[in-house]
Amino acid sequence: MQETFWQKRLRDVAAVLVVGLFMFPLFWWALTSFKPTSAIFDKDGIVWFDFKPTLVNYAVTMLGKSRAELAIESGNTFGIGGASSYDSRQTIIDSLIVAVGSTALTVLLAVMAAYALSRMRFFGRQAYLNWILSQRFMPPIAIIVPVVFMFHYMSLLDTRLGLVIVDTLINLPIAVLLMKSFYDDVPADVDEAAMIDGATRLQIFRRVVLPMVKGGVAATAVLCFIFSWTEFLLSLFLTNSIRTLPVKITTFVTSTGSEWGFIAALGTTAVIPSFIFILLVQKQLVRGLTLGSLKE
Amino acid sequence: MASVTISNIRKSYGGLEVLHGIDLSVANGEFVVLLGPSGCGKSTLLRMVAGLEAINSGQISIGNVVVNDLHPKDRNIAMVFQNYALYAHLSVFDNMAFSMQLRKLPKDEIRRKVEWAASILNLTPYLDRQPRQLSGGQRQRVAMGRAIVRDPSVFLFDEPLSNLDAKLRVQMRTEIKELHHKLSTTIIYVTHDQIEAMTMADTIVVLRDGNIEQIGKPLEIYDRPANLFVAEFIGSPSMNFLSGEVGAEAGRPVVRANGVTLPLPLDAKVTAGQIVKYGIRPEHLRPGAGSEGIPAKVSVVEPTGPEIHIYADIGGQEVCSITQDRLELSPDDPIRLVPALDKIRLFEPATGKVINGPDESRPRTLLRA
Ligand SMILES: Nc1ncnc2c1ncn2[C@@H]1O[C@H](COP(=O)(O)OP(=O)(O)OP(=O)(O)O)[C@@H](O)[C@H]1O
Ligand SMILES: [Mg+2]
Repeated sequence: MQETFWQKRLRDVAAVLVVGLFMFPLFWWALTSFKPTSAIFDKDGIVWFDFKPTLVNYAVTMLGKSRAELAIESGNTFGIGGASSYDSRQTIIDSLIVAVGSTALTVLLAVMAAYALSRMRFFGRQAYLNWILSQRFMPPIAIIVPVVFMFHYMSLLDTRLGLVIVDTLINLPIAVLLMKSFYDDVPADVDEAAMIDGATRLQIFRRVVLPMVKGGVAATAVLCFIFSWTEFLLSLFLTNSIRTLPVKITTFVTSTGSEWGFIAALGTTAVIPSFIFILLVQKQLVRGLTLGSLKE
Repeated sequence: MASVTISNIRKSYGGLEVLHGIDLSVANGEFVVLLGPSGCGKSTLLRMVAGLEAINSGQISIGNVVVNDLHPKDRNIAMVFQNYALYAHLSVFDNMAFSMQLRKLPKDEIRRKVEWAASILNLTPYLDRQPRQLSGGQRQRVAMGRAIVRDPSVFLFDEPLSNLDAKLRVQMRTEIKELHHKLSTTIIYVTHDQIEAMTMADTIVVLRDGNIEQIGKPLEIYDRPANLFVAEFIGSPSMNFLSGEVGAEAGRPVVRANGVTLPLPLDAKVTAGQIVKYGIRPEHLRPGAGSEGIPAKVSVVEPTGPEIHIYADIGGQEVCSITQDRLELSPDDPIRLVPALDKIRLFEPATGKVINGPDESRPRTLLRA
C-alpha cells in the first residue's frame, strides 16, 4: 500500500506522541535528580527549568557524602537532615551481581532445557510443559514464607547467592518457554541435516542450533536481567544488610519525609545498566524478537 | 555409489499404519522417483532410508549392508530437504564444509572439495555469503552442494523444488538431472509433481496410501498404467474415463456408454456384458473428419498455443481431446472424436485393475493385492 503524504505525516506525529508519552516520566525523573530540594517542592507551582542545577543528589547517593557535609560546603543549609545511609554504591554493586548472576544462570539452564523440550519427544513432555507454565502463574508472595524458611536452614538468607538462586527460580519458567519458542522456529530439518552431516546431539546443539537462536538468547537475557534488576518483593524478605536497588530506594521514604531528590538520582542511575545491556545486545534483540532463523 | 534394497517395510504412527509393506530395489546409479499424492507416505519412506525414522518392521540395505540399526551419519547418505535446512548462521562455504569439518579433514582438502562442488553448481561467487542473502534457487543449490561434497553412496531428495517458482523449477530439474549424469550416484527423489517425476526419473514408483501402485520407466507408466489410480494420476490433462458395457457390433467388440458406441480393438480381452471403464488419453482422442468417430458436443475450447484442448460431452460424460490442428470451434458445436484403437485401456471399475493392460508378470510391476 502506498502511503500518502498526510498518512506518513500522521504516522510520524503518532510515533512522536507515543515515544513522548513513555519518555516523559523518565525525563521528569532525570530532571528532578538535578533539582535542589527547593525546586522539587515549590509551593507556588511546578518548577520546570527555572532552577540552579545541582549534583547534590548524586553526590549523596553515588559518592557517599553526607548531606550536612555538602550543605556546609555550599553554604546552603536549607532542609538538612539524615545521615550518610543514602550512600548507594554497595547497593548498585550488589544489584549488578545478583542480576548478572541470575541472568547468566537462568539463560544457561533455559537454553538447554528448552532445546530438549523443543526437539525431544519423551514421556510426559506436554505435562511437563504445562507444569512449567503453571509456575509462571504462581505469585511470588505465595511462596515467600516457605522460601524464607528454606533459605534460613540453608544459610542463604541475606546472601547474594540466595538472591541469585531465587531470581533464577522465578525467571526460569518464562525463560524456558521463550527459548522454546525460538527453537521451535528453527525447523527440525536443520537438526536432521546436521545429524546426517555427522554431528552428535551436542554438536548439533552447540554448533548449529544455538548460534541460530542467538537473538532469542539475547532477548531472554534482557528479560531476565530487567526482572532481576527491578525485583522487589523477594529481595525485601530475603535480605536485610544486602540491599538491592528497589529495596534500597524504599528506605529513602523515611518517617521525616521522602527524599525525592535522592530517589530520583538513584532511579535515574538505575536505568543506566539496563540501558547499556540492551544497547549491547540490541542487534540480536531486534532479530530475536522478529525472526529466529531462516524461514520461507 | 550403492544399490538400495527395501524389503517389506512397515511403519505405524501410534496405532495407524502408514506404510503397508513396501518392497523396492534401486539399482546402483539409478534415479528413482517416489511419486504420489500428499500423505501417501513418500517422505516417511525416504526418511526411513535416511535413518531419521525408526523402522517398525522390514529391512533396508544400502550396498550390501543392512542399515536398520545404523545411525544416519553411518549410512553414507546425503539428503536435500524441501525447505533447504541450511545452517543460517554459516556462510555458504561453511555450510558445505560442515560435514568435513566434523570429520576433521585437512583444511586444504575441504577447500578443494567445496570449490569443486561450488563450480559444478555455479556457486563460486557466493561462497562468502550468508544463506539469507541468496535466492531460493541458490539456496537449493547450496543444499545440494552440502550433499555432494560428502560423496555419498545415495542421494535422498524430499520435494526439493516445491518452494521454487515455476520457471526456476524447470531449470533446477535440468540441473539435478545433469548432476546425476555427472556424478552417477544413486538418487531417491520424492515428489508429488508428476511432471518432475516423468522428466527426471529412470524409474518411477507410484505410491498411494502406503502401498506401491506401480513401478516402471516413465513412459511405461504413462503408456501402460497398471490401474485406474495410476492412469488418472499421471498425465495432464488426465486420461478420459467413460463407463460402459461391453457389447458387439458388426462382429467387433465395442463399449456402449449411455447409448454411444465406443470402438475397441479386435483383440480386446473382453467378454460381452462386462462392465468396464474405457480409458483414453486426450492426445489419443482426436477430432475426426466426416462421419467417422464418436459423436460428441463441444463444451469448452482452450487454446494453449502449441495445441488446443477441446472439452466435449459424449453421452453425458465429459472428455478432453487434444489437437494441434487449428480448428474453429465454439461451445455446442457437434464434433466427432476418434480414439486411437491401440491406445485404449480398459479397467475393471470395481478393482481399478487394467484389463487389457501390461503383461502382469513383468517382474518390477507390483500390483496392489
Ligand atoms: N510424526 C508423525 N506422527 C503421526 N503421523 C504421521 C507423522 N508423520 C507422518 N504421519 C502420517 O503418515 C502419513 C504419510 O506421511 P508422509 O509425510 O510420508 O506423506 P508424504 O507422502 O510425504 O506427503 P507430502 O506430499 O504431503 O509431503 C500421513 O498420513 C501423515 O499424516
Ligand atoms: Mg512429504
